[in-house]
Amino acid sequence: MPAPATTYERVVYKNPSEYHYMKVCLEFQDHGVGLNAAQFKQLLISALKDLFGEVDAALPLDVLTYEEKTLSAILRICSSGLVKLWSSLTLLGSYKGKKCAFRVIQVSPFLLALSGNSRELVLD
Amino acid sequence: MVRFKHRYLLCELVSDDPRCRLSLDDRVLGVLVRDTIARVHGTFGAAACSIGFAVRYLNAYTGIVLLRCRKEFYQLVWSALPFITYLENKGHRYPCFFNTLHVGGTIRTCQKFLIQYNRRQLLILLQNCTDEGEREAIQKSVTRSCLLEEESGEEGLSDSGGEEAAEAME
Repeated sequence: MPAPATTYERVVYKNPSEYHYMKVCLEFQDHGVGLNAAQFKQLLISALKDLFGEVDAALPLDVLTYEEKTLSAILRICSSGLVKLWSSLTLLGSYKGKKCAFRVIQVSPFLLALSGNSRELVLD
Repeated sequence: MVRFKHRYLLCELVSDDPRCRLSLDDRVLGVLVRDTIARVHGTFGAAACSIGFAVRYLNAYTGIVLLRCRKEFYQLVWSALPFITYLENKGHRYPCFFNTLHVGGTIRTCQKFLIQYNRRQLLILLQNCTDEGEREAIQKSVTRSCLLEEESGEEGLSDSGGEEAAEAME
């Protein structure tokens, strides 16, 4: 008797996540510069507009968390805009005449991965 | 094999004001398109599109413009054209917009398309015109363009057909 034919189903996930999450930190050359959340978002959008124009300044970008003391934030951007956002953050040089730089600490397609960073792991 | 490939965008300048077309100048138009690309696509877009950018052909009577750009970035140029809303010349602002008719890889394909398009426009003008003198002029242009088609394969970029039609309209 012939064996019953088995059916296979292969499921391939290329990149299921639509969004990428970035943990960034803004550093100023002089200390004592403060930004609130709205000014921070305005800075991000003006960086995008400078490099990529009005079309990409309208990318759906979200600031999920923002800490004013350390000037660090978690951003969410759709996956097609990750390269554009990252390159415009790299090329941002100044805010209102004061020199600053963005430090990108962690990038991941999953938000949960940003909660633990193996670089900051302290072994007892 | 290894060459720089271009895309030629055939556009038509549409405007209410008849003086707008006459004030078209290739340098003015080039500057206008470059500024619009810089506004819409930023420094990256401006740099990418301005390498192979040129205004190849301009017809002030019919408002036909042929723009050239590199093949890799022709979509940036094409998507920036709808953002051009006015033409500025000597302090006068004329509201207008660009209608893209054809995208071709060579000037020759754009030329072939333009000839067919002009023939179709002549027939449309013939239907819509009201004055008897205009009707005769357009009918003459139509028969002349058909005769030329039978004689030789192609005529030149049919400036004369378009010009007569434009004069007949005004």
